[in-house]
Amino acid sequence: MSRRLALALVFIAAMVVGHVGTIVAAPHAIMAVAMNRLSQSGEAVNRFHFARRTTAQSRAIVRPSPDLAYASCVYDLADGPLLVTAAPTPAKGYVSVSVFAGNTDNIGVFDSLRAPEGIRFVLAPAGQVPDPAKMPTGLPVLYSPSRKGVILDRRLAPTAEAFAVADKARREDRCAPLR
Amino acid sequence: MKHGGGAEEHRGWRGSRVTGSPDADPWTRAQVALTGLLALNRSQAIYFTRSTDDAGAPLREDCRYRVNGGRLPGKWWSVTVYAADDYLPLNDDDALSFDATEVRPDARGQWTATLAPQRPAKGAWASTRQAGAFDVTLRIYNPSPRAQADFGTIPFPSAQRLDCGGAA
Repeated sequence: MSRRLALALVFIAAMVVGHVGTIVAAPHAIMAVAMNRLSQSGEAVNRFHFARRTTAQSRAIVRPSPDLAYASCVYDLADGPLLVTAAPTPAKGYVSVSVFAGNTDNIGVFDSLRAPEGIRFVLAPAGQVPDPAKMPTGLPVLYSPSRKGVILDRRLAPTAEAFAVADKARREDRCAPLR
Repeated sequence: MKHGGGAEEHRGWRGSRVTGSPDADPWTRAQVALTGLLALNRSQAIYFTRSTDDAGAPLREDCRYRVNGGRLPGKWWSVTVYAADDYLPLNDDDALSFDATEVRPDARGQWTATLAPQRPAKGAWASTRQAGAFDVTLRIYNPSPRAQADFGTIPFPSAQRLDCGGAA
């Protein structure tokens, strides 16, 4: 094999490895930026942040929906499981609470169709069974493959009036360590 | 039409079966992270996007389009305009999308809406002012089991170009 051919093969291999590495790393990196932004640079972790109504100027997340009221909780399971609760919106307004791992995977979702009286679950690190003494009876447990991630509360709110109703309801949302 | 990585295209709308799912491959995950971070999986919402009209021409801010659709299989749906930077267009028309509550279906469930930079005389409208070369995303929330199982059964809306540059 000539030296020129060997160099070309090394170059191609480096390109392929670099490309694949970038593809695999990109979701983690982009999610880390989003988590930093949603938690106000890490100041607001394990508690909900309530986004204002989406407008043309909204730039926190790409492709936001102007028809939904968003609340987000950047979670960190370093100190153990969290109890997550989301109150219902009056008049059976649609609510969904979805949980995203650090690689952007949607690892769990709960909605008001299946839980019209409010959404409640425990979020625990993968492989760590919550302490039964602290565990509320009958609550589902969702296991996260990553220590950090995002919980997103979405409520249908296509008008200013609907947003005001959803906003009042979501203020009861909690994501706090299980005690 | 099905593509790799769970991607599908139906009547000019592109989407993926594995958006937001742990089943997504690294390429799909990277694409979602860039253009639809924190998207729900298909049990909660189906997302489809189109960037061309029915003739295959790119959607443009200076053109008007008629969107025709039928009964969509979900509890609620919306169509939202996005500029090329994947954010909402920077206009103050308070018409960034139209949804299931704004259209007026006829007896057969057929409805019409408009994508244009100016508000039409009547009917549902999403403003494309300041959108440049734009695309639109259809979100169907709480889709029916049949729609989740086979996106091909969804009666996706058409997007017919009416005119461009203010020509009537």
